Amino acid sequence: MTVKVEVIEGGIPHNKIMAAGLIISLVCIYLTWLNVLTGTPWFAFFGGLGAVAAIAWGSHTIKTLCSYGIGTGVPSAGMIALGSGVVAMLLATRYGVATPIVAVVVAAIIGAILGYLSNNVLAMHIPVMIKSLTELAIVGALTLLGFTAMMTGNFTFSALATGQVMFLGFALPSYVSSYLGGALIATVFMLAAIAIQHPFNACLGPNWKQDRMLMLSYEVGFLSMLAAAIMSLALISIGAALLSIIVALIGWWYTYNQYLVLSKRDAAAWLDAKPFPEEAEGP
Amino acid sequence: MSAVGAKPGGSAGIDPVASVVAIVLMIVMLAIMYMIGTPMAFMALIGIVIGGVLIGFGVMFVPVGGAPAAMGQAPGIATGVAMLAAGAGLAGLFGGAWAAQTTSNLLVIVITGAVGGGLMMAITCLFVNFIYVYGMGIPAASGKVKKDPITGDTQTEYKSQGTEGHGLPFVSYVGGVIGGLFGGAGGTLIYIMLLDVYEESLPAMMQAQSGQLLPIPAAQIMPIAVTLAGMFAIGLFLVNAVLAAYNITGTIEGPHDPKFKRWPRAVIASATASALVGLVAIMIVAL
Repeated sequence: MTVKVEVIEGGIPHNKIMAAGLIISLVCIYLTWLNVLTGTPWFAFFGGLGAVAAIAWGSHTIKTLCSYGIGTGVPSAGMIALGSGVVAMLLATRYGVATPIVAVVVAAIIGAILGYLSNNVLAMHIPVMIKSLTELAIVGALTLLGFTAMMTGNFTFSALATGQVMFLGFALPSYVSSYLGGALIATVFMLAAIAIQHPFNACLGPNWKQDRMLMLSYEVGFLSMLAAAIMSLALISIGAALLSIIVALIGWWYTYNQYLVLSKRDAAAWLDAKPFPEEAEGP
Repeated sequence: MSAVGAKPGGSAGIDPVASVVAIVLMIVMLAIMYMIGTPMAFMALIGIVIGGVLIGFGVMFVPVGGAPAAMGQAPGIATGVAMLAAGAGLAGLFGGAWAAQTTSNLLVIVITGAVGGGLMMAITCLFVNFIYVYGMGIPAASGKVKKDPITGDTQTEYKSQGTEGHGLPFVSYVGGVIGGLFGGAGGTLIYIMLLDVYEESLPAMMQAQSGQLLPIPAAQIMPIAVTLAGMFAIGLFLVNAVLAAYNITGTIEGPHDPKFKRWPRAVIASATASALVGLVAIMIVAL
């Protein structure tokens, strides 16, 4: 599902990453709609994969924005991405099957206006400001939508607002034990915001390498997906939640090891310290 | 390539064309709300704009030190604007939401939120200074003014060479508390306005969406309304805080800092951004 990352002279151009992130994320989120078409919960994990793709795109957008030196720290970019994205995403959930498209359009409008405000009114005068904030708003909306689709198996408003409680063996609709009513969205909000800003914040500097940062963004994406998948146990059938957890674990384990390999490649030297030092032998 | 060597952008002046465009945009959004929404929703949007302006203005008071402050090379609290503003605003939001459960008096709720935000900043500033003085062993000294505008204490003798000042001078402490008061009040105002709108309109909208024939009791909708209002308040807060951060570009010492003169830009940008995000937030139930 991931964009193939290879070391190219100068790296992959940003527009390519943007197109790949947008398309993969939209396709993966739409694949969760198979849940509704087939009447099973097994396709929920695609939402998490869509969120991971969006996170990778977002981290590269933050890189292009923050290389101009916005002077406020990288985490603020992740915060504004999710702050504007959550509004677009929640409005879009009202539109049924068109939700992901509406989320992208509304987020683009919000992001473009916020970009204009920061670039012209606040006199930042950064060439990529408007484009970057537009992208970040879309990334925020798609990341939230992806995790939401994974946790509830659906992305319509009534599905997010309605949960089920078992009472004497009957499943009764409940609004308190739902994705929105239980405020699980607040946890997902922070998981996604930190995952979007962390990769560039951790990898920036003269030794910045594109493939290493993107691998870290997949790693934190899958780690967030794991946390979201565990929370989804409360909302979706156990089998579908376990499937999400397994997919997230496999993805995380692979990308974590790959990130270690890339980090060792870029490091000047490293000491392979063990978490538990072996006992010294001899007297 | 590197973010480390780049210079922060931003200048002190106001761009008249862009400001007029922003104000026109805000009026357009208010007009859209007036046409499509109920009078209550329109009033709520005006409340949200006021709340957003309070946040954007309040953030200018907070002494933000960033990484230089962590190294004792600049005065202020050693973290970024967005984190500080979010901390103060969310603490205020909790206070305001708690008060909203017990009373319906808007003034009491907003003031409770302001006290929550101010308290949060007061505690933060106190412990920041505690760590600066007893942990890092540096005195509080401003680099931007010769005398503290409130106490009149001289600053330059205490300032180390090669730094822009360090620690948290008294005026910065006061600025931080004022910023927390404004931020907490603004965040709470946004939350209360959205909560009122959702409590009024959400049951009918959920009824239509769910397709059920049986009426849904309003008490069951409450958690949804609270979550939606809370999430949008957090979203609006972060958007306004980051816009204020972009206005400050880096560090600010408090109300005595020359950068404080940039506040008109922050107010215009916050008002427009709040009108935009608030419009979208209310449209969830208004359309």
